[in-house]
Amino acid sequence: MYTLGIDVGSSSSKAVILEDGKKIIAQAVVEIGTGSSGPERVLDEVFEKTNLKIEDMANIIATGYGRFNVDCAKGEVSEITCHAKGALFECPGTTTILDIGGQDVKSIKLNSQGLVMQFAMNDKCAAGTGRFLDVMSKVLEIPMSEMGDWYFKSKHPAAVSSTCTVFAESEVISLLSKNIPKEDIVAGVHQSIAAKACALVRRVGVGDDLTMTGGGSRDPGVVDAVSKELGIPVRVALHPQAVGALGAALIAYDKIKK
Amino acid sequence: MSEEKTVDIESMSAKDALGYFLPKVDEDARKAKKEGRLVCWSASVAPPEFCTAMDIAIVYPETHAAGIGARHGAPAMLEVAENKGYNQDICSYCRVNMGYMELIKQEALTGKTPEVLKNSPASPIPLPDVVLTCNNICNTLLKWYENLAKELNVPLINIDVPFNHEFPVTKHAKQYIVGEFKHAISQLEELCGRPFDYEKFFEVQKQTQRSIAAWNKIATYFKYKPSPLNGFDLFNYMGLAVAARSLNYSEITFNKFLKELDEKVANKKWAFGDNEKSRVIWEGIAVWIALGHTFKELKGQGALMTGSAYPGMWDVSYEPGNLESMAEAYSRTYINCCLEQRGAVLEKVVRDGKCDGLIMHQNRSCKNMSLLNNEGGQRVQKNLGVPYVIFDGDQTDARNFSEAQFDTRVEALTEMMADKKASEGGNH
Amino acid sequence: MSQIDELISKFQEVSNHPQKTVLNYKQQGKRLVGMMPYYAPEEIVYAAGCLPVGMFGAQKPQIAAARTYLPPFACSLMQADMELQLNGTYDCLDAVIFSVPCDTLRCMSQKWHGKAPVIVFTHPQNRKIRPAVDFLKAEYEHVRAELERILGVKISDLAIQEAINVYNENRRAMREFCDVAAQYPQIFTPVKRHDVIKARWFMDKAEHTALIRQLIDAVKKEPVQPWNGKKVVLSGIMAEPDEFLDIFNEFNIAVVADDLAQESRQFRTDVPSGIDPLEQLAQQWQDFDGCPLALNPDKPRGQMLIDMTKKYKADAVVVCMMRFCDPEEFDYPIYKPEFEEAGVRYTVLDLDIESPSLEQLRTRIQAFSEIL
Repeated sequence: MYTLGIDVGSSSSKAVILEDGKKIIAQAVVEIGTGSSGPERVLDEVFEKTNLKIEDMANIIATGYGRFNVDCAKGEVSEITCHAKGALFECPGTTTILDIGGQDVKSIKLNSQGLVMQFAMNDKCAAGTGRFLDVMSKVLEIPMSEMGDWYFKSKHPAAVSSTCTVFAESEVISLLSKNIPKEDIVAGVHQSIAAKACALVRRVGVGDDLTMTGGGSRDPGVVDAVSKELGIPVRVALHPQAVGALGAALIAYDKIKK
Repeated sequence: MSEEKTVDIESMSAKDALGYFLPKVDEDARKAKKEGRLVCWSASVAPPEFCTAMDIAIVYPETHAAGIGARHGAPAMLEVAENKGYNQDICSYCRVNMGYMELIKQEALTGKTPEVLKNSPASPIPLPDVVLTCNNICNTLLKWYENLAKELNVPLINIDVPFNHEFPVTKHAKQYIVGEFKHAISQLEELCGRPFDYEKFFEVQKQTQRSIAAWNKIATYFKYKPSPLNGFDLFNYMGLAVAARSLNYSEITFNKFLKELDEKVANKKWAFGDNEKSRVIWEGIAVWIALGHTFKELKGQGALMTGSAYPGMWDVSYEPGNLESMAEAYSRTYINCCLEQRGAVLEKVVRDGKCDGLIMHQNRSCKNMSLLNNEGGQRVQKNLGVPYVIFDGDQTDARNFSEAQFDTRVEALTEMMADKKASEGGNH
Repeated sequence: MSQIDELISKFQEVSNHPQKTVLNYKQQGKRLVGMMPYYAPEEIVYAAGCLPVGMFGAQKPQIAAARTYLPPFACSLMQADMELQLNGTYDCLDAVIFSVPCDTLRCMSQKWHGKAPVIVFTHPQNRKIRPAVDFLKAEYEHVRAELERILGVKISDLAIQEAINVYNENRRAMREFCDVAAQYPQIFTPVKRHDVIKARWFMDKAEHTALIRQLIDAVKKEPVQPWNGKKVVLSGIMAEPDEFLDIFNEFNIAVVADDLAQESRQFRTDVPSGIDPLEQLAQQWQDFDGCPLALNPDKPRGQMLIDMTKKYKADAVVVCMMRFCDPEEFDYPIYKPEFEEAGVRYTVLDLDIESPSLEQLRTRIQAFSEIL
């Protein structure tokens, strides 16, 4: 039996096809989100990878900001619940989840049965989100994919204290003009994101371990900075960007199994 | 046998006296706690006379927080407070204090010193037996102390001075505040288990007036042009105006400072030497986390601070023995008054300091001191022809301050002041 | 249309068109006096023969001109009120009364940009001692004298006593309405409940009470149906815009009680009876509790909310946290551990009436309903 989860976020769309609630058959990510052709394209992509058709899906659940605009979906579940489900599947036994997405950061606390106990999301400010990293990578003229490498080169991370994206941008520019080594500024940026994101984790309560998901967790610098900030080991989900979609597919399976 | 070292206060410079007395306020409180006497935490412009008369040691969370901020210890405290649920938009003095309070509370409960506290540059202060607030500078102090009283399960002495939408202070407001004074006295009698010491209270009132008279006199040195007094020094000495105005510590120190200023005037030793290019008024709380930077940036432009309405808030001149006069003094703080009075105070500071420009701190931590900046600045500009700039900042939360933005604003103000002088015929 | 629907639609007509409603009163010769949040003495205005008009912002206001006068860290309610001053919406008012219980309001009271004259008064915050009552009474005397001067009327003690009766009657009716509405969540969706309550800000209270009584009577004839959704208590300054409350409905969540400054906090404390109306009004401020704008070092709000959830068998408390409202933010670290100890589920939703981030709120509310 196949189920499909689709996660339509603010800046990307993700889909996962699951077999019998156990095995990921295919997953796809396209970097455009709600209000665009993203949802259609991600469905095309995920089915292209298999011999399956949408009719073969026993159940389809949508999540993410665009979840109410997915016509084929048979139900909608919030991304909090989906992330918790997906992260727990990829990292069994995890107690805390931190998701750094394009516009949102969320932290979720689970109990020992894996049920969501408490969650927190960032306010409107872009501090601590993927967007913040994106802006800084442009200011520093370092591609996003290389930010992590620069982070690990740093010996004396610079202090980037402003969390406001506009302030931090001018702070980074003034660090550059003071000839502070780029790697130290990059590390400062990572620590700034980690500080803001970890504040959310503390709001729900830090567990013994942490699982990171979302686009931000693809940057090993962010992961390392978060781990150091909280002083606990951090795991990264196998499919960090598709965890929400995976959770939706799992819930889709659970719903018809019951 | 006394273990106290004999200290030669007489021969100290004003700066040394400040360095000696300011930490001594906290030390006195630690000693009081050890000896089983009571300790009070107080808002910065609340009347200390009542507690001092009853031999209660007082420490000042705002001064304490500013000190932590200046020594770069604020982020750790802010984090503790934010983890407890204090929103990042709440006053950073309060968050630093709530963080510190939480840590020493944990220490008292567990007997173990939390790691964060061990590593903090904060001056150690004991937990209070009573807290004292007064909203003559903001209503945030009401909520802050309400929470302290609840969290620590100690009595709250509240001297609520109603916002003066009319000025001068109304008769019924003064009567209400006197009623609160009397209630505070009965609270203290209950807390101390003995009758209020009215004789000592009268002496303390007189001491307070002597200290304040000296404090007020310092600011009069801004009349000199060039000025022997650097306004940033007021931010430093203000610590004693806050924390020791009912003790002789402040009187001794301020008088030393006055003597030194007289010598400077006699020897023509000006604060910026020959480099006083312009004079500015600083409106709002100092950016403690970047005090050095803000000072250096202004100095680099030859802009000397020769006025600020903020240190003037401790001008609590009243007639000892007259509670209504005391009530009026604690109520008339300029930021507890209608815009008309606020603006009048601001103008006076600009005139007295012969200021060429006004730099205003739009302080993320202080709505009461920020939300009328535009109106105050416009009034000064209109009536006195003095330009103003506003910069975004925060007293103790570095996340809300940007050096680059500050520098740009100061440069703009310097240019505006220079243009104005040039248009007036280049008469420097 | 059933009688119930008809009655509710009357309230909704008022709440959805406050400007039209109050201008109708004005056309009939009633003068309008604006009541800035929070807790200005409406009874004195009513006794002057005027209509007290609520000034709790607007539904999703377009804020533009206000930016010149307020920094971004003033709450969206005050941003909205500033915008409405500047865009002429408040020009129909004959006078405006300001209280100043928070730092933002202190400053707002000094920079009014509307046309109507402004009367400012200060609430005492050492509320439980006798001199506070004397002080507030004198402040209310000032409000009365200013109203008399501006409007050219006399406001007698007797007229204020009559107004107190009208208002207490409305308060009683409102408390009863809230209890009844809690039993009929199928009828009173969160928005409908809100609209019935909100209408009191723009109607003559005697007329509002009469309509409320009719509504209560009509509803009580209906059988009580079991509710298969969740029940929550709302706490905070206000719960707008309507799209925000609609999300609760979407996920089958009923609002069974509230602790909102715009709603129940207005009518949970009666004005005591007596022989000096201004003193009675001042005593009400002394008796009132559970609002962060009325200081009380015992901080009873947490327990009040815990009791409320028990009384109304609510599943959770939803805190509608007005961004940049420090009084509300200060209460949170105190009641949070109290909720946890009492086993009361809760969630905090950041609210900004200007740009409410509805999508994020939808996610938060849905996720919360999933974990309840």
